[in-house]
Amino acid sequence: MDARLRRVNKEIADCKNDKTSNIRIDLVDSSPFHLKGSFPGPEDTPYQGGHFEVDIVIPDSYPFQPVKMKFLTKVYHPNVSSASGAICLDILKDAWSPVLTLKSTLISLQSLLCSPEPNDPQDAEVAKHYTTSKRSFEETAVYWTKTYATPPAGAADTRDEVAIAGLEAAHVDQFEQLGFPRAKVIDVLRRLNYRGANVAQITDDRIVEELLK
Amino acid sequence: MDMDDFKVAPKTARKAYELEYDSLSQAAIEKLMEQDVEHIRGIFGVDASTASLLLRHLAWNKERLIEQYMDHATKMLVAAGVSIPEPEPARPSRRPARKPAAKSPKSETFVCPICFDDAPDLAPLALDCTHAACSGCWAAYITSKIRDEAEHACRCMAEGCALVAPDAFVRAAVDPETYVRFQGLLVRHFVACTPALKFCPYPACTNTVACPAAASKASLASVVPIVSCGARGIAAPSPSSAGMSQSQELARQATGKEHKFCFGCIIDSDHRPVVCGVALLWLKKCRDDSETANWIKSNTKECGKCMSTIEKNGGCNHMTCKKCKHEFCWVCMGPWSEHGTAWYSCNRYDEKGGVDARDSQSKSRASLERYLHYYNRWANHEQSAKLALDLFAKTEKKMEEMQVTSALTWIEVQFMKKAVEEVDKCRMTLKWTYAMAYYLAKGNQKDLFEDNQRDLERAVEDLSELLESPIEPENIPTLRQKVTDKTVYVQKRNTIVLEDTADGFLEGRWKWNVPVDGFDQPENE
Repeated sequence: MDARLRRVNKEIADCKNDKTSNIRIDLVDSSPFHLKGSFPGPEDTPYQGGHFEVDIVIPDSYPFQPVKMKFLTKVYHPNVSSASGAICLDILKDAWSPVLTLKSTLISLQSLLCSPEPNDPQDAEVAKHYTTSKRSFEETAVYWTKTYATPPAGAADTRDEVAIAGLEAAHVDQFEQLGFPRAKVIDVLRRLNYRGANVAQITDDRIVEELLK
Repeated sequence: MDMDDFKVAPKTARKAYELEYDSLSQAAIEKLMEQDVEHIRGIFGVDASTASLLLRHLAWNKERLIEQYMDHATKMLVAAGVSIPEPEPARPSRRPARKPAAKSPKSETFVCPICFDDAPDLAPLALDCTHAACSGCWAAYITSKIRDEAEHACRCMAEGCALVAPDAFVRAAVDPETYVRFQGLLVRHFVACTPALKFCPYPACTNTVACPAAASKASLASVVPIVSCGARGIAAPSPSSAGMSQSQELARQATGKEHKFCFGCIIDSDHRPVVCGVALLWLKKCRDDSETANWIKSNTKECGKCMSTIEKNGGCNHMTCKKCKHEFCWVCMGPWSEHGTAWYSCNRYDEKGGVDARDSQSKSRASLERYLHYYNRWANHEQSAKLALDLFAKTEKKMEEMQVTSALTWIEVQFMKKAVEEVDKCRMTLKWTYAMAYYLAKGNQKDLFEDNQRDLERAVEDLSELLESPIEPENIPTLRQKVTDKTVYVQKRNTIVLEDTADGFLEGRWKWNVPVDGFDQPENE
């Protein structure tokens, strides 16, 4: 039997038998080389209570080259792209070792959620938010977890775009009242990182200037 | 005139624009590596494998290695992946790295932690760290490292283990073809770590050139290190050459393009007389201005008299309009009659026009036109050099004709080939003189430079025209005489241009109108 297939089958079986780790690996279609992993958000973090799904593609040269993983669930985290779910983690690149398994890699992702690395960001905007105001960042991450990662997903129309962008409702209202479209205000304030101590540093004129662009 | 005139003067004295260099084969480089390994082995008293891993770790810097090893031998061995970090004193491994895994007791069957195979005939392998895996997995892992990642340091497969597989282990694990690749990677790493060595940039060539005179960045401001690795042609077999007989193959190798490149900036052409810094500036400018360049490069021009569109498909600049028979110069578009006489101003940009360009608009127009002036001539020579290939084929045919129509022997018609080669070489020089002239600051030096450039250009165009002229049996002796004379003259003009610029760099005579690495700032005008 093909060594890659044997190894993947064993990894999937091992994961099924392991009841303690809470990590699941499921087939997406009939191919054993395209999988879906999932794990609960780590406790005592903004991701607690969430259920995170990861797309797994096993390359031809596995296990000698790393697996390709990205988040299917939207995650608000400095090392995960908020748009594509791409992950910045060393073991998925040059620090990969053939003895690592799908399960151990998913556990590493879980612990990445516990300890963000804002100095090596995948998503620069989120990383800026994290370094500017950790409290505000955590509120947004909790909101994202509730909105996107909670099993009976919240109805789409009740989503609060302001909270998703990690902004204060009062700030958005203030500029919306000047006559700018709400979506545009949210976009500009998010881009300028209008949060925490930065609020005092960015003048209203600057924001209006950006809004008029 | 005798054929002896064509012989290149024996290289007794090196010309100012030539540098001393050596061409080395892969085997010669391997020998150099071996010498370094032997040296370190003798000093440290370790085995050859350990010594070479240590050298590779410190980028073949022997002095730094000796210094650091004397201070922290253990730390160095761990960092180089020779030994595992242990509290006990470091002991350079004496055994070959292959040994059965001590971890799993013999009673239990071995299960490979990578592929989970447990067949009884599995041969577990491990480095000194005893992280065992089956031989198949090791082979696949090391092959993937070498072939996919071009990595020569294959670390142990276990997570966090930094031990590097020694050469003997790699050799035993992979197929011979991959091992050859591995040796190639080691040679490339060594060459990349040594400033006085550069790999030949031509595809599939494995030679290296040593040129200590151009090893430092500072030296590139005064010399143009054009070198050749000694090989010719492209070694990779092309589909068309598959049917070649052995003698044809030998002929191709003998006549193929010489592997000439610049040691300083690794571009695969001869950019003499201009130094690397200026050559790079110019190439970058040409790329940035590609829109304009595209427009100007379009190969057609209009006849100055009847406005017919004309495409140039030969090497000579003397154009005759098919329709109205108007004779003109392809470069300046002026009538050719003016070129035959004493004055020839085709290569010089008339900067007087720039003086009255007061307002910014006409100034920027002037600067664009100035650039286009030089670019035009640069691209023209490049195009002509490309057409030289056609010219070469045509010339070969002509040479055959000559052997048939006249009493000349093979050796006596070689003057045509020599002339074509000389034209090609000089066009290369001319091409780069325009890049140099574009950046030269105004003044006497530039005027002198452009005088030399003009003389060479005129000579090359004359010779180029001679080569295109039809061959009549009765005029062959005169043609031969003319071509031979002209070739010698062109050769001399080319040497003058190259020598004068090279001397200028050594004397610091050239001043630029832009800041160039390694030169003084330009004076503000």
